[in-house]
Amino acid sequence: MKKLNRRSFLKGGLAGGATIVAVGTSKQALAGTHNFGGYPDSMGVLVDLTKCVGCRTCEAACNKEQGLPTPDKPFDDLSVFEEKREGGLPRRTSEKAYTVVQKYDVEGREHPLFRKVQCNHCNEPACLTSCFVNAYKKTPEGAVIYDKTVCVGCRTCMIACPFYIPAYSYSSAINPVVKKCIMCYDTRLKFGRPPACVESCPQEVMTFGKRTDLLKLAHQRISEKPDKYVDQVYGETEVGGTAWMYMSDVPFDKIGYDNHLGTQPIISYVKEFLAMVPMVLTIWPALFTGFHLLSNRKDALKNDDNKS
Amino acid sequence: MNSLKSQGFAPVVSDLKKDGSEWTVKEKIMLGLSPKEYWAVQRRNPFNWVLWVIYAVGLPILVGRFIFGLGWVTHSSYDYPWGLFLGWGLFVMVPLSASGFMMGTTVELFGRKDFKPIERLGLLNGLLGYLFAVMFLQVDLGQPWRLIYPMFVSLGPAAVLFLVAWHVATYLSCQVAELVPAFSEWMGFPKAKKFIKSMVLGLTVAGIILSTLHQGALGALFTYAPGKVHPLWYSSPFQWFHFFVSAVFAGLSMLIVVSTLTKWFMRWRCDENYLNNLSKLTLGLAKGASLALITYLVTKIIGIAHDNNWAYLLTGWGAWYMFEIVVGVLLPLTFYTMAVRNSNASLARFAAFLAVFGIALNRLNTALITFNWQLYQEIPHWREVVIVITVYSTYIVVYRAVLARMPILYTWKEKK
Amino acid sequence: MGGRKKTLLGMAALMLLTAPLAAQSWAADGPGTVELGSLANHYSAVTFNHAMHTGVAPSCAECHHHTTGLAPTDPNCARCHEAGAKAKSVACKDCHSDKPFSAENLKKIQENPKLYHKDRLGLKGAYHRRCLGCHTEMGGPTGCQDCHTRNDKGDAFFNSGKYAPTPSASGGHGEGH
Repeated sequence: MKKLNRRSFLKGGLAGGATIVAVGTSKQALAGTHNFGGYPDSMGVLVDLTKCVGCRTCEAACNKEQGLPTPDKPFDDLSVFEEKREGGLPRRTSEKAYTVVQKYDVEGREHPLFRKVQCNHCNEPACLTSCFVNAYKKTPEGAVIYDKTVCVGCRTCMIACPFYIPAYSYSSAINPVVKKCIMCYDTRLKFGRPPACVESCPQEVMTFGKRTDLLKLAHQRISEKPDKYVDQVYGETEVGGTAWMYMSDVPFDKIGYDNHLGTQPIISYVKEFLAMVPMVLTIWPALFTGFHLLSNRKDALKNDDNKS
Repeated sequence: MNSLKSQGFAPVVSDLKKDGSEWTVKEKIMLGLSPKEYWAVQRRNPFNWVLWVIYAVGLPILVGRFIFGLGWVTHSSYDYPWGLFLGWGLFVMVPLSASGFMMGTTVELFGRKDFKPIERLGLLNGLLGYLFAVMFLQVDLGQPWRLIYPMFVSLGPAAVLFLVAWHVATYLSCQVAELVPAFSEWMGFPKAKKFIKSMVLGLTVAGIILSTLHQGALGALFTYAPGKVHPLWYSSPFQWFHFFVSAVFAGLSMLIVVSTLTKWFMRWRCDENYLNNLSKLTLGLAKGASLALITYLVTKIIGIAHDNNWAYLLTGWGAWYMFEIVVGVLLPLTFYTMAVRNSNASLARFAAFLAVFGIALNRLNTALITFNWQLYQEIPHWREVVIVITVYSTYIVVYRAVLARMPILYTWKEKK
Repeated sequence: MGGRKKTLLGMAALMLLTAPLAAQSWAADGPGTVELGSLANHYSAVTFNHAMHTGVAPSCAECHHHTTGLAPTDPNCARCHEAGAKAKSVACKDCHSDKPFSAENLKKIQENPKLYHKDRLGLKGAYHRRCLGCHTEMGGPTGCQDCHTRNDKGDAFFNSGKYAPTPSASGGHGEGH
């Protein structure tokens, strides 16, 4: 009776563990052959930062499209560019704004440079891979969307996002959820239409199209104006590539872009641990039961009264 | 209580009173005192007065957190999504509670029956630590009532936190089971004890697996933030191992600290077997802790070498890192070694306090202090601090209440 | 929901202008003024003084590229259109689509792998970049309402004017740091 109990317990534990591992690794295998690289026909947006005049029309369009709360200041109030959050940093995305425009005064550039910030819709999103309720989804169209009805509110996605994008509705006591740009998936992208911000921009700073086409386009533009553009398309390779990509005439690290993110998706930094999990689950039980038998054998030899 | 005992008071140690009749549960809860005596004792204890003050301030704020939301008690930081609730409540408390599986392994697996007097304290320290880590988690989660979602509603099995959730949950039940014997003795249900005893090996092995994985997983959680945690506290290949190995000495050191506190403040509840063995066992734990410490130290150095982070040691962050390593690792390691060599239990106890401080510092450094090292430092909201103190006080209250009653520090005298 | 969608569609159909031929008065070699209003949504139409601008611009090609038959000013365009290539229409809207990112437009571009003008600007972008680019360089007016006044719908869109948030409503809660 005793033995059966013990064995069935171990078996159960192993089986449970193995399922976890199996699902875990199969997902890894999917992401496999190194880089997932994104869905072949996924859409993207190419942002030419040099064209932005900082009118904030995109912010207004986003606010209306997504039904976000009334802003603290009118969208034609340009004083927001001087606002600083903690640490002297510019405004960032929040529960009330899925996109914000930041202003950078760059030395040697005649006019300030404006930078639009929103979710970059990674090919292999860190938020998605870190979510323990599988709330996030990368759609074939390229958007990273989420199911707020299953969000528990652990905020690991906010820890994981290398771009500091997801916000959280801390102000809500009963239904706080993650808040971020979904590339207007529900209302536009799904139907083949560009996000509201793209369409609202008077300067056509943003070009909407297939990600692969946009990349060619970006490099064509750079090669046509090599004196103007920095020879980098930000988002082409960063953390495995993003759907939103950027062109600039000043080095990206001077306008708040992190140029040290590497080309590997964030999940690749976690794989060493994930690979270790199945080993522990399979080796540990045998190893430690073995230890137990060994130490008990000594006992048994030492004193004759048999116990186990 | 200590003074009461010196005046001749004898606490409950068996089912039967001196006169042969059985203790009722109520009497057991009152520690064998009359209600009047019991409350008089509680009032005399200055520590209880401190607790009353903490609850007077803390409880309304804790309730307020659930009425007004996290925005009311924290700075609602998007850059620092995790604050003290997890920084302290999860990342510090869980390693300090590793004593459960350590003692289970030592006694049940390796057959070191000489550690028996302290085994239950180790198990209890583990159980309560995890229980309150979950409490802290519940305070921190945006929608705590969805805690079971990762288990049954929407599964994200490839996420590290998924492992943490499952493992902590199953391990908690393991620990409850492991403590059933203590509870059943006290309540007088011998059958429950027998049942658990029959599967204690399975429970213990499960405990080791689950502990290895979730202690490591807590570290692996930070591998999602390679650019955010300072490189000296971050190592993609070794993070989980650092967290796991440090949890080993953290758990053992915490056990020494707690046993020291019981020796000081709850002597009345300890029996001879416990008190007489404590110094010897402390040195045994010290030995284990020093082995884990040296392993930890070596892998920390390997971690720096692997990523070639030596240059960071010369910066301000490097100095802070050296402080953590010297005070939290090197000094305890030295003192533990000296203590073992000279059989000096007091020195081992001092080392344990240092090691516990060191591990707390390490986890807070990883989760809060060096997190976003390139941005700015978030200072938690005062209400956040008050809630942490309140919940932690509750942990102490429950801990003390269990120790005072159940046969953890003393051996139950079974009916013949 | 439907109502909002409609507004959004309208907004998406974009805020500006194109050249309704009806509202033109002709000068010697072009219209005197042009009413640019086909995209008007949040702003009123722009009354563009074409005659004045022909006086300021060094060449028609400055705005009309090669379409008037003159040599283009951009050397990159000159690689193909050196001598100019007179087009059937010189109106902005006849080449620059008002829906540059529509599925049809994207498909058209995709189906023609030899197409060079893959990222031809949409109409709104063409207007603004042309006007604003030159105005910034030459010191012309650059404010939004310097060229077109914003209407009530636009005020609502920008939460400005009578739709401006009241200070109490914007009290600093929830705005994390």
